[in-house]
Amino acid sequence: MQVREVLSSLTFRYIAKYVTVLSASVFLVLGAFYIYFSYTSFRALGENVVDELDTLQVIYRGQGLSGVDQYISDQTARPSVNRFFYLITDGAGAKVAGDLPAAPRYQEFDDGWLGFEMDLQSWGESIDVDFVALPIALGDGYRAIVASDYADIVKRAELVFQTLFRVMIATLILGITGGFFSAARALDQVEQLNREISRIVAGGPGQRLKIEGEAGYFRALSIVMNQMLEQMETLMQGVRRVSDNIAHDLRTPLTRMRNGLSKLRNAKEPVEGKQLEALIEECDDLLSTFNALLRISALESGSRLAADTEVDLRELLQDVVELYEPLAHEHNIVLELDVRQPHVCKGEADLLFQMFANVLDNALKYTPEHGRITVQLRPGLDNAGHIVTISDSGPGIPAVERKNVFRRFYRVETSRTEQPGHGLGLSLVQAIVQYHHGAVVLRSNNPGLQVRLELP
Amino acid sequence: MNVLLVEDDKEVGEFIVSELREAGHSCVHSCDGEAGHLAATSASFDVMVIDRMMPRMDGLALINTLRAAGDNTPVLVLSALGDVDDRVQGLQCGADDYLVKPFAIAELLARLEVLYRRVKVPGAEEQTRLAVGDLSMDLLRQHVQRDQTVISLQPREYKLLEYLMRHAGQVVTRAMLLEHVWGYHFDPQTNVIDVHVSRLRQKIDKDFEHPLLSTVRGAGYRLGAEIDS
Repeated sequence: MQVREVLSSLTFRYIAKYVTVLSASVFLVLGAFYIYFSYTSFRALGENVVDELDTLQVIYRGQGLSGVDQYISDQTARPSVNRFFYLITDGAGAKVAGDLPAAPRYQEFDDGWLGFEMDLQSWGESIDVDFVALPIALGDGYRAIVASDYADIVKRAELVFQTLFRVMIATLILGITGGFFSAARALDQVEQLNREISRIVAGGPGQRLKIEGEAGYFRALSIVMNQMLEQMETLMQGVRRVSDNIAHDLRTPLTRMRNGLSKLRNAKEPVEGKQLEALIEECDDLLSTFNALLRISALESGSRLAADTEVDLRELLQDVVELYEPLAHEHNIVLELDVRQPHVCKGEADLLFQMFANVLDNALKYTPEHGRITVQLRPGLDNAGHIVTISDSGPGIPAVERKNVFRRFYRVETSRTEQPGHGLGLSLVQAIVQYHHGAVVLRSNNPGLQVRLELP
Repeated sequence: MNVLLVEDDKEVGEFIVSELREAGHSCVHSCDGEAGHLAATSASFDVMVIDRMMPRMDGLALINTLRAAGDNTPVLVLSALGDVDDRVQGLQCGADDYLVKPFAIAELLARLEVLYRRVKVPGAEEQTRLAVGDLSMDLLRQHVQRDQTVISLQPREYKLLEYLMRHAGQVVTRAMLLEHVWGYHFDPQTNVIDVHVSRLRQKIDKDFEHPLLSTVRGAGYRLGAEIDS
């Protein structure tokens, strides 16, 4: 695995971007914390200075200058890290008490605060320290200044800032390293998948991806791809079967036609019209087979029309039965229609007519003389939808064959030779009923066949 | 009958032309929509056969243009698009009939003949009495008789006979009967129409010397006095 490949991979780039955004937000949060920390520290310092000035004022009022002097001496004598520094001056500006030099060179701020630098003796060393101070008038011309250094606040703030910076750097380094490794892992899996797929492409659709490794997206992907391959294989087998059937079913009439034509060519006596008519009829049959095939595929691939018309199934069935009644009569078959009320459903009248006609046609073909065919129309469960059952007293279809008869060109073995037809009738029935979002079920009529058509 | 054929497929076009000429009709063949438009506007025809999908100008657009210009020549659309909505679309834009490819030439000839007669005999719809030979039908009283014998018919048989009599002498195909007598457009897989026709034949021809209703092999039926044997 090339490092460059990992660095340019989508996963790595994604993670790098994510880490950058993450550290930026970490920096923003900690920066806000830093500002808040400095602000509250300085505020507390300021409040302490103001409190101390109040104390001085109270002492001055109660005990006069000597009291103040005493208090300052007590305070400055105490060893304390964060102590205050004091300066009391008289009306002329001369120092009266306190431990600050008489007149530090200070900088005055807008809000009355003073800032100055002063050398402090600490551990025998002189260090430069920043102070803030606030002056007030004690009365009688005396003024007091209380000052406090803020070196420790600055020190603490610096510490916070450095922590911030290190946390951000650590986030970046850890995130990018992590990103590198997870990108490398993902790439590795993609490459494995690539190799597997190439193997399948080379070996044909019968092969499957190896399902290995721990549970995860890639494993799930492999499983789904295997399912897809499975489906493709089934479809391909279906297509192959259909084209085999087409080849078989069309070869026979084409061969007959060819033989007939060559017979005509070699005929010694003049060609009779009858022979030609037979050939043309054969041709028409082929055409109608193709038409039926095209119709089925059009129905299967077409989505349902939005502008469906309302069809009264009762009327439609009456028409179908009326159309087939003479044919039934000719075969001494009783054809009954059992409908109680109008059934209006949305659909394509021509298609529905074709569907019922095909089923009835089959029933008539397979019902023996003196048989009985019943067409019944009832509302579905809870009065939703419509159920048409067409029951005959013929030989029926064995349970194992019932699914197969809907396949194009499929014909129950015994009927292939005995009955005319192109083996597309029930395929068309199924295509039409599914086009109307309905279903067709074959059942036994004990004896005979019952075709149950459910329409929404 | 003078026919204009607008069809871009050369072989299908030539075949239709030769069949039409053989049947005794004259025929002009245009190979695309624009040429068809030019031909239709420069001469007058009895019927037009127009393919739907063509280069330069779509068949339906051509019919629209012709109808907009006041040309009411009957048009039969020939198309590979056979869905119900395709058919409806075709008829809505002003076509008079619609035939889906692949088709039998006999079907096309029969349909053209019907379209042609419809224009040639104006006012045929308002007739109150139809007669073919010694067979007559009173449309107001729904009464049929042949010679002196009254023939009683079922409602469907009556409609069937009416359609046949209105198109007497012409070949009427099974699909045309289904469309106009039963009102459905579908493809019967068996001889179901033949049974109805033979029932009708029983009633109108059985006891008479000259049969009126004859079967035209490979095409359909024809009702006419001039047919014998």
